[in-house]
Amino acid sequence: MLSPILVQSQVKSKLWYDGNSRVIFNRDALEGTIKDIDTVSTRSNGGGSTVLDLGFHFTPVDDIEIFSEIRLKNDFGGMWGNKSVVELRRLSAKGIVNNKIAFSIGDIYLKQTKFTLYNYEQELSQYEPSVFNFYRDYVNYENYYQSNYHRLQALQTNFSFNMYNFIEQLDFDAFTARVRGVEWLGKPELLMLGGSAMVRLSNKINLGSHYVNTFEVLSSSNGTVAYYNPVLNTQISYSGSVNDNPYKMLIEGGFSKRGWDGDSLAPEVKGNFIQASLHSKRINGELDLGFRYVDSDFRSMGAQKRRIQYNNSTTTYPYYSNNYTQRKVSLLDVMSDPNVYNKNLSTSLMSYNPMYSSVTPYGDATPNRIGFTAKISNINITDFFSTNIQTQYFSEVIGQGTTQKRMLNKSALQSILLLNKLLSTKKSLILEGSMNLETVNRAGEDFEKIDFTSILYSGSISYELIKNFKIIAGAKVFYAEGNEFIADRDKYDQINDYSNHIYDSKETILIAGLQHHFTEDIYFTMQYNQFNVLDKTKTYDEFSLGRLIFMFNMNL
Amino acid sequence: MKKLQFLLFLFPFFFTSCEKEKIEGPSLNDLFADLEILEPLSVVGDSVDFASGDPIYFTASFSKQLDWKIKIEGLSSGSVKIILGKSNEINQSNSTWLGNSSSLPFFTNENCEVELSFEMDDTTIYNYLNIQVEKDYQNENTVLITDLENNFNPNFTGFFQSGCTRALAIGGAGQKDKYLAQFGTCDWDWLIGYVDYFSNFWYDDKNNMINDPSKLYFNIMIKGDSTISSVTNLPNSLFKLEFYEDENGDNYHDANSEDRFDLEFEVNWTGWRMVSLCYNDLIPPATNPGNGIKQPDKIFKVRTLLLANPDSGPARADVDFLIWSNGAPILN
Repeated sequence: MLSPILVQSQVKSKLWYDGNSRVIFNRDALEGTIKDIDTVSTRSNGGGSTVLDLGFHFTPVDDIEIFSEIRLKNDFGGMWGNKSVVELRRLSAKGIVNNKIAFSIGDIYLKQTKFTLYNYEQELSQYEPSVFNFYRDYVNYENYYQSNYHRLQALQTNFSFNMYNFIEQLDFDAFTARVRGVEWLGKPELLMLGGSAMVRLSNKINLGSHYVNTFEVLSSSNGTVAYYNPVLNTQISYSGSVNDNPYKMLIEGGFSKRGWDGDSLAPEVKGNFIQASLHSKRINGELDLGFRYVDSDFRSMGAQKRRIQYNNSTTTYPYYSNNYTQRKVSLLDVMSDPNVYNKNLSTSLMSYNPMYSSVTPYGDATPNRIGFTAKISNINITDFFSTNIQTQYFSEVIGQGTTQKRMLNKSALQSILLLNKLLSTKKSLILEGSMNLETVNRAGEDFEKIDFTSILYSGSISYELIKNFKIIAGAKVFYAEGNEFIADRDKYDQINDYSNHIYDSKETILIAGLQHHFTEDIYFTMQYNQFNVLDKTKTYDEFSLGRLIFMFNMNL
Repeated sequence: MKKLQFLLFLFPFFFTSCEKEKIEGPSLNDLFADLEILEPLSVVGDSVDFASGDPIYFTASFSKQLDWKIKIEGLSSGSVKIILGKSNEINQSNSTWLGNSSSLPFFTNENCEVELSFEMDDTTIYNYLNIQVEKDYQNENTVLITDLENNFNPNFTGFFQSGCTRALAIGGAGQKDKYLAQFGTCDWDWLIGYVDYFSNFWYDDKNNMINDPSKLYFNIMIKGDSTISSVTNLPNSLFKLEFYEDENGDNYHDANSEDRFDLEFEVNWTGWRMVSLCYNDLIPPATNPGNGIKQPDKIFKVRTLLLANPDSGPARADVDFLIWSNGAPILN
């Protein structure tokens, strides 16, 4: 009878809490011409929920922490708990062995290099004005996107050695993740094994090697085909300074192999990449210059994931018009709908919509690209005006269906004007503007020419009425014009066919409302949003939507 | 250290020299460009003597790779030869023709129309050629049973029901002039009639047949009329082939101890058609008393049977040019 008491007295466990809470409610209503011509869809619909993600951190001993996150969710419209959900959102444990070897197990976040394991941002999110951040926070949080980490069920460990000879420090990191579990009469289990070794030769030179192998375990199914995709990435960096201006050079290269053992129809493709970059920091800004080559056959499952799935059904008005047309994922869904996003990795290249991302749909790991990048960040022209600018010029390594190659350009510009400083007022008045431009061109005969341009203009203004209580307004206008060929690929990524798509569309997003920050991480916002999607090719009916939204967000 | 920096900077540029020359995916030109005929259709080897083994072939070239079809039609016989290909050039390697037919009857000494058409394009090009001497299908790899040109061999015995017909017909044959017409109505039995082609009366020596059942083909021209039974709503005429082996070499097939192999099928087409079957694909009857081994060198006779449902009315299946071929069906 005494033993439980004795055990309890010997282990001085600690339990502490954190978490997030959100209350969201929105009411959407058809507007514009679709409101008159669509007599089938509901005029409006609404929904929302209260969510509390409560994190329990339990430390039975100093070197161990067990973490679980429980989601309590109550959808609006349910009574007496009939739409209440309690679910486990995350469970993990981490610790340190003898103050030397750290480990984590369970639902953990993993990242390596941009070519081995990396979760790239969704398209058109760069330089987004801050008044749209609440949507971005919502979408990313619901899909477990934490910066560029992948959330995986994994076991991970890392440790370091400090040395005093030619090598100053050695860092090792290794993990194994279960990407896909056993399926009854289905595909084999899909595992990912990875490791990194970083060698610091001096304060100036670092060497690193990263390896990820994703493979199916044939014995876990009764099939005869097993996927494999090893990727190796080696890096060398050098840090120095010129005239007291520090700079860092990084060169990385690597190889990939991808195939299906036991499938005679599946080709084994081998690809490579190399990237060189120079980063320099000055008082009035930062400069990044880069060169990148990615082979057309480079395949890396961990780095070529896409966040947005354009085939997904949208949450708001998935069908519209009297023809009951499925509404395509558009900028409004990219911005605000967590359900068009993807949490999984894919053994083949995921499809993308060139209208929204045609230059680097798979981030830096986009295959078949060679070119230069340049970026100037944090240019403080005055104390009230700063700007960022970035441009990327690429060509295809080999032509797609032709010897003519696409020429691709992706540029972005952002400016922030602190009007309160300019006008010498105490209350915050901030003006933000940005532009994202993509162009794709291909010369040649009429049947192979490409001339495509997409451009997103974004702007916002926020004015502090009383302390931390702001009136906000923002706008996004997106244009896509021209033509682009979409490759139809089979399950082995081999191109079977092409379709030449003609684009001429305009999308508009307008928001206006109020926002109050209790702290940086605790705020509420109430807004009216207006969305319009106009396809000038007349393939789809114009879609207009008004939305009243309230969101309270709290990070404990 | 500056040398190291210089080398680091140059390294990526060496890498770009690995640029590939191929293109990724199928050619856009082939899929989307308009078709241009760069070189018109020409016939090489016109006025050909197929009997002496001379070939004929065609030449043409196009601006894109695509599926093409050459149709050669005999203006007298009505025979048709189809040559299919996918390329941007027609040449000797993909269009050589040795005088055989894709659909019967056989070509004769005649003029032919040549039509070149494309799967994804409406363009059609015509040309003409002349056959001086038609192809001779008999050679060292064939064993002819009968082509009926020397009339019906009376040693080929058989039986036809009363009121049903088995008669030598002239004109409209699958090969040359004569064929064996078989038709009739029998409302009391499935059998319309049969003919036994005994191997010791075949036109050619059966010892020229290859004794490998997987490489030996039996070929027979059958002319159907595609009559559909008003009772069963199925093709009326059934055709059955029976191959009797004399395993002990006593010049007699003993149904109680020796093999028989069969094949039965509906005659659901109109006009002549060459039916070719591999000896290995034949199946024994439910109770087969022999050793079950297919031994082509021990074939005693081939029986052809015309069958029909007694309730379904008239049946017809004329035959011509019964021939064995070694290695491949006769029309290959």
